[in-house]
Amino acid sequence: MDSPRTSRLVGILENIVLVAIVLVVIQSFVEDLAELLDWSWGLRRNVLYAAFALDLFFSVEFLTRFYAAFVRGSARRYMQHERGWIDLVASIPLLLFASGPQLAAIATGGAAIVGVGRTLNLLKIIKAIRIARVLRLLRALKLFRNIKHTDSVITQNHVARLASLLVTTFVAVLMFFSLVDIVANLPGFERSFRERTLTIAGTIAEQGLADSSSESALRSFVAYEQSILVVRESGHTRFARYPNEVFSRQFGPGDYTWIRSGSVEVFVSLRPVFRNQSRDSLIYLLVIVSIIGVLLFLYAPFFCMTVSDPAYVMTRGMREAGYNLQVSLNEDGGDDEMTALARSYNEEFLPLKARNAEENAASDLTLDSLGDLLDPS
Amino acid sequence: MNSQIQTAAGFIARLLANPALKSYTPLQKEEQILQFLNANSAQLMPTLRSPQFFSGLPDHEITSLLITALTNTIDTEIPAFLDLILDRRVNFDFISFMTQRADSSAQSRDQVRKLVETMLSRPESRRALTGPLAAVYYGMSKKYLDELFQRRGYTHFELTKVQRLRMGREHVQAMLDVNIILKPAIYSVSGSEGGQSSYSSGLVQPAFAETARSLLLKRLPAVPDSVVASSVHANMSFVEHPSVEATARLASVFSARARGYQPNQRVDRGADTPDKSWFSVARRNYKFYGFDVKILDELYSVAAELLW
Repeated sequence: MDSPRTSRLVGILENIVLVAIVLVVIQSFVEDLAELLDWSWGLRRNVLYAAFALDLFFSVEFLTRFYAAFVRGSARRYMQHERGWIDLVASIPLLLFASGPQLAAIATGGAAIVGVGRTLNLLKIIKAIRIARVLRLLRALKLFRNIKHTDSVITQNHVARLASLLVTTFVAVLMFFSLVDIVANLPGFERSFRERTLTIAGTIAEQGLADSSSESALRSFVAYEQSILVVRESGHTRFARYPNEVFSRQFGPGDYTWIRSGSVEVFVSLRPVFRNQSRDSLIYLLVIVSIIGVLLFLYAPFFCMTVSDPAYVMTRGMREAGYNLQVSLNEDGGDDEMTALARSYNEEFLPLKARNAEENAASDLTLDSLGDLLDPS
Repeated sequence: MNSQIQTAAGFIARLLANPALKSYTPLQKEEQILQFLNANSAQLMPTLRSPQFFSGLPDHEITSLLITALTNTIDTEIPAFLDLILDRRVNFDFISFMTQRADSSAQSRDQVRKLVETMLSRPESRRALTGPLAAVYYGMSKKYLDELFQRRGYTHFELTKVQRLRMGREHVQAMLDVNIILKPAIYSVSGSEGGQSSYSSGLVQPAFAETARSLLLKRLPAVPDSVVASSVHANMSFVEHPSVEATARLASVFSARARGYQPNQRVDRGADTPDKSWFSVARRNYKFYGFDVKILDELYSVAAELLW
């Protein structure tokens, strides 16, 4: 039996978790919006820190819950029936494969993780990881119990099972195609960007565009290739799209790549690819939020109305002698099994109970309601 | 012995202070506690036999002490409760209207009060008064008659055309309230002056009702015969005796409804409202209780429409 102090502490921690869940949903959207709206690197870096902090928080939360369940001998129950698997999927893998590597890339200037010049090969892997972040939204299922109409256990279980199946299937399909894309190198935005970018330095070198005499030809070329940030030839800068302060404010490690061909070096922005991925990711997030929203606000009330509420009323009626409210049935309601059961309860059980109650009348008082009346003083 | 009486009174006072009983009438509280003691005696007795309660007393004496303490406590609330019911809730002016005698209203009220006090002194009739007094206390007749008169349906027709009550809605309502209060008066004549009661089924036969009516008229000389007759007939089955007055049929329904009435009952999501639920169940059991199913249908419609 928990002491009131322990219960209060648990209540506070649960509320902190709920706040973190709301924050993780917001963070997921902001991370993609930041890319689309071209936020400065400083702001985007803070959003990435927040992602790491939240993933770390949820990983610690999962490990704590799992350990507590393990000690109680109910680890399997926690994983299977108390949605522990959602806690797992939406925490440690994301920490290890999404926000953790991002933080490491920031700390090491990007080189340690992506490798100079090899970034383009990793674009599709980055895309797959971005998709995996959508799993964070599964945590929103934990908000169910705080929403009207979903306070019954069967509704929570039913809707949570449905939502997690739909979201997980959706993410699994996306992940599968991402992996197929990586292995089979399917045509697409990333592939065409990679192929075009890899030829940029060679084209500039072959056509001598970086020569001091070809300034106008170079300008025409970079006007066409908007992803080119800087062109250098033998250590001299021939073209810079922005002043240095703009580069340092807007670009972080991993936002660009570097390609060399002979004495020509070209710095190419990866932001168009990331923006494209963010747009897709935002669509995925919206799809999942819509699925969860529809389940929460349309399906859950319907389920309550047709299943859990009648079941609750009938259970009380059968357990409590003084409870005689009948199940509310729509006059032109259907003939499903629950309606038939509720009709039998209203039309057969309650009348029989009322007749028996003439002999076995019930009291609203219960032994539990006596408080300390029977305690020795 | 005095200390045990005090212990019993203290125990009962604590039970009566339970918030679950707060909005009940005194007799409903009494019934609730009696039912509670009856249902939980096996769990309560070991504690009540202990030294801090009634050390050494046999169970039946403990029960007797508790019931006496309960009755005494409730009796202290009864005078004020009857004042409220008979002076403020029920307007006896309809009797002057019926008899065309100015003093008959006050006389009727005094005679009804005296009879009710007698009924309260007998356990059986005291129990039977729980529902009727609660029905009047909660204003059940006013609540529904206002609607029934507005709708001018079956019940209105039965009251005004079949029973031919030539008076206003307020007078009909007051007459109905008196019928409700006097319905259990049949207990006060059974067994003694009234001979063998056939009340074990909850319903009486016409012969018994006739005897009861004539005996009651002697105790209530100021109350018109039609009012007393309607009160007695409220104990007869309409199914078997279709000539029972509409006021008697309504009194029968409202008395039964109010017996277990829980004011401010919380309606769970997915459940029907209390009155709608009760009338719906009563419609299924109408033969068992001898109710008029058409009246129940109309009351059910009112309750369903107004979410009562």
